[in-house]
Amino acid sequence: MTTAPQPSIVALFERLADGVYTLAARMTRDRHAAEDIVQETFLRALTRLHTWRGEGSIDAWVYRIAYHQSIAVLRRRRDEPTDPATIRDLVTDPEGSAERRVLTMELAARLDAAIGALAPTLRAAFVLRDVEGLSTRDVASALELSESAVKMRLKRARLALRRELEDYL
Amino acid sequence: MTELTCDELDALLPELFDGRLSPEVESASLRHLATCDQCRIVVGDLERVGEMYREHGRLTLPDDARARIRAILEQG
Repeated sequence: MTTAPQPSIVALFERLADGVYTLAARMTRDRHAAEDIVQETFLRALTRLHTWRGEGSIDAWVYRIAYHQSIAVLRRRRDEPTDPATIRDLVTDPEGSAERRVLTMELAARLDAAIGALAPTLRAAFVLRDVEGLSTRDVASALELSESAVKMRLKRARLALRRELEDYL
Repeated sequence: MTELTCDELDALLPELFDGRLSPEVESASLRHLATCDQCRIVVGDLERVGEMYREHGRLTLPDDARARIRAILEQG
């Protein structure tokens, strides 16, 4: 078997850092946990890069590591309540007039709450497909699901978010 | 191709959003949407949900964490 050319880990990090952070933060709803997941994901990718055979996209391979890390964090704290303050740290201060900043912050908070109310498996499918723009095939690879299972989760996620956000539609 | 029902269009929505329908099925989907207010509202809403999250839902790794992790990887 031939081995696919391996991209540099730093180049991968530059390209995927924000996407992996978005997935981890949306999954864990905790900025600091998300930063730790980003670090651990790319360290694991660094040590395992030689095992990537070019089957499927390398982006999906990296997101799969991040997804497993995120699930592990959720499992560890299953019995701990989520601190609502942590999610506020995720919203960066928007630019523009004071009025626009307030409206944007309000919308961002509603979006955070709506996506946070989804089951983690629906959240991951929605973030990877609709926010980060991965193909359905890559999302299936990252989440180790069939494409039809991804489509089902996407549909449930989108309909749930539509219900939560109907005031804004 | 025969005209689609609302349920049939509903089942095709993931592929429609992905742009992965055959030209024939896509045409049938668009014909249905042109004549069905209910489905048009649902599809419009779902597109808007995606747009809102793409615009406001992406997060940026903070600069200090980015610099720290990049330095670790460069040493690796």
